[in-house]
Amino acid sequence: MAVDGRSVAVQQFLKKTELIKQGAEARVYRGIFLGKPTILKERFPKLYRHPLLDEKLTHRRTVQEVRALLRCRKAGISAPAVYFVDYTCHCIFLEDIVGSVTVRDYITSIQLSPQKSQEERLDHLAKKMGLVLAKMHEEDVIHGDLTTSNMLLKVGGDTEEADLFLIDFGLSYISALPEDKGVDMYVLEKAFLSTHPNTEALFEKLLKAYTASYRKSHSVINKLNEVRLRGRKRSMVG
Amino acid sequence: MTVVIGFEGSANKIGVGIIRDGEVLSNPRRTYITPPGQGFLPSDTARHHRGVILKVLKEALDEAGLKPCDIDCVAYTKGPGMGAPLVTVALVARTVAQLWGKPLLGVNHCIGHIEMGRLITQANNPTVLYVSGGNTQVIAYSERRYRIFGETIDIAVGNCLDRFARVIKISNDPSPGYNIEQMAKEGKKYVELPYTVKGMDVSFSGILSYIEDAAGKMLTSNQCTAEDLCFSLQETLFSMLVEITERAMAHCGSQEVLIVGGVGCNMRLQEMMMVMCKERGAKLFATDESFCIDNGAMIAQAGWEMFRSGQVTELSDSWITQRYRTDEVEVTWRD
Amino acid sequence: MEGKIDGALINPFMIVHPFEVLVAANKAVHLHRIGKMKTRRMYSEIIYNLSPTNNISDAFKRFGTSDSDTAVLIVLVHPTDETRHMTEVMAKVDGQQIPVEDVSKMVDTAQIKKLYRTTPQEDSCLLDAVVCRMAVKDVI
Repeated sequence: MAVDGRSVAVQQFLKKTELIKQGAEARVYRGIFLGKPTILKERFPKLYRHPLLDEKLTHRRTVQEVRALLRCRKAGISAPAVYFVDYTCHCIFLEDIVGSVTVRDYITSIQLSPQKSQEERLDHLAKKMGLVLAKMHEEDVIHGDLTTSNMLLKVGGDTEEADLFLIDFGLSYISALPEDKGVDMYVLEKAFLSTHPNTEALFEKLLKAYTASYRKSHSVINKLNEVRLRGRKRSMVG
Repeated sequence: MTVVIGFEGSANKIGVGIIRDGEVLSNPRRTYITPPGQGFLPSDTARHHRGVILKVLKEALDEAGLKPCDIDCVAYTKGPGMGAPLVTVALVARTVAQLWGKPLLGVNHCIGHIEMGRLITQANNPTVLYVSGGNTQVIAYSERRYRIFGETIDIAVGNCLDRFARVIKISNDPSPGYNIEQMAKEGKKYVELPYTVKGMDVSFSGILSYIEDAAGKMLTSNQCTAEDLCFSLQETLFSMLVEITERAMAHCGSQEVLIVGGVGCNMRLQEMMMVMCKERGAKLFATDESFCIDNGAMIAQAGWEMFRSGQVTELSDSWITQRYRTDEVEVTWRD
Repeated sequence: MEGKIDGALINPFMIVHPFEVLVAANKAVHLHRIGKMKTRRMYSEIIYNLSPTNNISDAFKRFGTSDSDTAVLIVLVHPTDETRHMTEVMAKVDGQQIPVEDVSKMVDTAQIKKLYRTTPQEDSCLLDAVVCRMAVKDVI
């Protein structure tokens, strides 16, 4: 182990990489690992929290993330492959989805493009998102942090259908409860609408596609409505 | 010059404050304190407010050295909050507005906290963590609304702290949160508690029911002290709050944080937030207890902004509401 | 083959792509450095790392070599500029050397799918399916 806590494997990788994002809980680097384009996600210690809590959370999230990635991939949900996990410094080496953009950036770019093709392209995307999330919940995977930044779109050639990847599974867990799935969709709805103002109709289309392709969606949507009301109805004293 | 008087009494504090163009002229306040182990009930709280509100109003005017004719607008808390106390305060506000012949303005309590925080700290466009007995929200401004990016999906953080205080009979004087904070300083052992972050949202009910259940057993078996529990609870709750604030900042690309609300004057929370901000190269803004805790000036300040942008509330519209979301208000005074 | 070879001797029919071997070797080196190997030696650790399960003897049975084998993949871990050991090992092997990329042509796909329990949805990239299981097996 090196002085700074990073293992040799991580240090070697970091020699030739670029930091692409400092998220809330991880730094994300892009580079080459054993010859492959790779993303390194490093969960660094958060100094504001108690060391015991920090270690527990960081380890748990690293484990949850790689487990969920494997589970999704087994079910045919596009998600980056895991190449290597370093549990000593909480680093995950992941497949780099070359040529992908976040759904967030994609939506923004469509909204800036000519009005004519806008609606059709956005509808198509919303439908695709609904289908993928339905599949994920079918597998009882709760993502825990659904946002349009945590979905990547790999646009294929002219004829090829674009592929939607799910990423950032650090807050994920396994649950069959409609409540957990409902909250998952609620988290997405809030992130979606606050990131992309005035897209209520688009999100409804996403939900419609989700409902249509997921057998047990009825109870999830009920829970979603219930959770929405909880926010509206909560008495907010003080 | 615009002078606005603000009436606040949505929970157990009753306050009247006067603002003149960004200057706080007066801001007296009273708190209804209940015995240890007891929370405050709406009817008792309203009775308390009724008993002191005129005295507080007189203090506010005297301290500011103003007469009713110097006031331009009467602002009051429209909601959210407890029904009975809200009604009491609105009634007094309506009465003085008519007596003095001044326009009325119903103000969203949460917006009051945000605008007061912005005034005092001069934060420009911060990500706001609003934490109190009834609210836990992470808010950022965009397109004429204070949008809620993250919030509690069950109880508020202050509510969790207050109810924990009742379980182990911590005094409500001056406030349960303050006493927990002092006891936490003596805590040494970190006791593991549930930790629930969902995206930018948090949940506290699991922690509360866990600690309600376990506290007695842990204390009687000398597994840990009450101080250790206070310490561990604060560490856990505040870590969750800092985490969702950071998530919202990363999401919005924000480099400023403003903490408002009663729990916001907790120094440990401010300290943890400061560490997070330093790490991101961001700036932290916080206020002390005179403005963090519910007060009249915050209602006056939000009222001042609204009044200056041309808003008034007609007498027939001067009702109150227990539920009033921050994002329901159209922000007419910001670009 | 004659004499003892200091290296990991692997059954090449169980290897989808050389990348998989690099991943196994990288993990072995890493665990060796931090003193957390599951087996006693780095070369046995490489073989263990290839397996989807945490059963050591099972890993050797599947990925190790036996006398009847007609091909072998040899993995050596050495400093970049020190190739003497490699020359020594090659001298001990009685056979024809082929490019490492060619292991992909020898792979027993049906065996791989069965052993790693891959799903039909993963058929499009068997290598990723295999590597993922190798990387995650410690926490499953």
